[in-house]
Amino acid sequence: MAGVHKLTTGLTGLPVARHPHKTLKVLYSRILAYINKMPSDAGYRKHTEQITNQRLHLVNSETDVQKLEEKINCGQIEEVIKQAERELTLARKMLEWKPWEPLVGQAPPNQWKWPLA
Amino acid sequence: MASRICQFMRPLAYSVARKNVLNSIPIVYHKFQVRNNSGAATTTPTKYSTIATRNEAIRQHLTQFGAYVAECLPKYVQKVDVYHHDELEIMIHPDGVIPVLTFLKDHTNAQFMNIVDIAGVDKPSLENRFEIVYMLQSIQFNSRIRVKTYTDELTPIESACSVYPGANWYEREIWDMFGVFFANHPDLRRILTDYGFEGHPFRKDFPLSGYVEVRYDDEVKRVVVEPLELAQEFRKFEANTPWETFPSHRQLEGKYQKTTKPEEKK
Amino acid sequence: MATNRLVQQGVKQVKPLLSLDRTEARRRVLNLYKAWYRQIPYTVNAFYIPVTVKQGREKLRELFMKNKHVTDIRAIDMLVIKGQMDLVETANIWKQRNHVMMFFKDTVNPKPTDFLSKFYEGND
Repeated sequence: MAGVHKLTTGLTGLPVARHPHKTLKVLYSRILAYINKMPSDAGYRKHTEQITNQRLHLVNSETDVQKLEEKINCGQIEEVIKQAERELTLARKMLEWKPWEPLVGQAPPNQWKWPLA
Repeated sequence: MASRICQFMRPLAYSVARKNVLNSIPIVYHKFQVRNNSGAATTTPTKYSTIATRNEAIRQHLTQFGAYVAECLPKYVQKVDVYHHDELEIMIHPDGVIPVLTFLKDHTNAQFMNIVDIAGVDKPSLENRFEIVYMLQSIQFNSRIRVKTYTDELTPIESACSVYPGANWYEREIWDMFGVFFANHPDLRRILTDYGFEGHPFRKDFPLSGYVEVRYDDEVKRVVVEPLELAQEFRKFEANTPWETFPSHRQLEGKYQKTTKPEEKK
Repeated sequence: MATNRLVQQGVKQVKPLLSLDRTEARRRVLNLYKAWYRQIPYTVNAFYIPVTVKQGREKLRELFMKNKHVTDIRAIDMLVIKGQMDLVETANIWKQRNHVMMFFKDTVNPKPTDFLSKFYEGND
């Protein structure tokens, strides 16, 4: 257990990460690799790139896990890893869905009008 | 031996865990607290204490998030609205149910991990008469969102079970009550009505008294179902709702600027 | 592309429910009919209902023929889906006797048609 700053996360089913820096770097680089395949003006790409780069920079610059958690400000480091994993699967699916394309179809008139009449 | 160690370790681990949780709570909710604190200053007390006060900060926050979603998913989002001060609604094309829900669940800035409910709405005068409303909650950012889409009697909607396993029963309810078919649902069958029941009771064209009546028949020794025959004097139903709803709703409408279309945000 | 658009003007594009064309829908209906047909002996036996297998099959045919006017592929699919769910409920014995007997409506008296019997009924 050397190098681990706590025994448990206190969250069921979420074990303490052994090497959070390494895991996060791998995850973020993979997210960025997927993101780079999207067109550069896609809204999703812009925002995700910004979040990922910001966090990657923090991970690279801060070695102490607790200070890193405070700087990222989105829960414990294990939760941040989970978020990165989810973002990775999302980025992979987004490449398939291509949500930056124009609207598939307008709603019929009055569909979103409320109250009717 | 192992259990001994466990016994010894458990209080220790517990205290450490507690400490960590306590440390992390202010971090987790920091973002939201900031939002609340700044919001408190702009809240104006109104004459009517029962009416929810309007909080500009929260409203603006939600409008911004709506625009963010619309920018990320221009292919599916048709309209974004903030209703009743603090209820964000995202209207999407029925093709985009899975992408939009997955985005809201998995994106780092959204994290709507909880599905609270799925509701159906029947508006018989419209071309697509059914509206499906997904209500999501984000524990991380302590916020809620509604995703609305539309369909008609025969158009299938993609099931959200692959994204939210908890959507299973909610979709079965909607199938049972409205007759909206969910494609690729793992176990779509009736959930509320009795076996052999025909029709979908929450449709507006389903009569208040139903089509059949059920009674125990002593001759055949079982429960029998017969077409309903009501005497004329029982047919007079009070159709108007006892709640006075829309007039006041409509008056409020004019005061607020609504309807932020994703196109305008660009 | 332009010709495509011209062709599409007359026909509304809809999302299919299950079947893509009429043959497929027809095959689904026949499959459902066969499945029900084979299930009826077991149903009659398991539920201990006062119905012979032959009567059950006649009822099955009658219920299928009730919807023979339906031509919309999606409407056919929807009926097949509901029939399939009904079959599962029956085959797994989630239903009870009275639910199965609901198909037969044996306690329902036919409505009077001529003047005198209407008069005796006391309605209208």
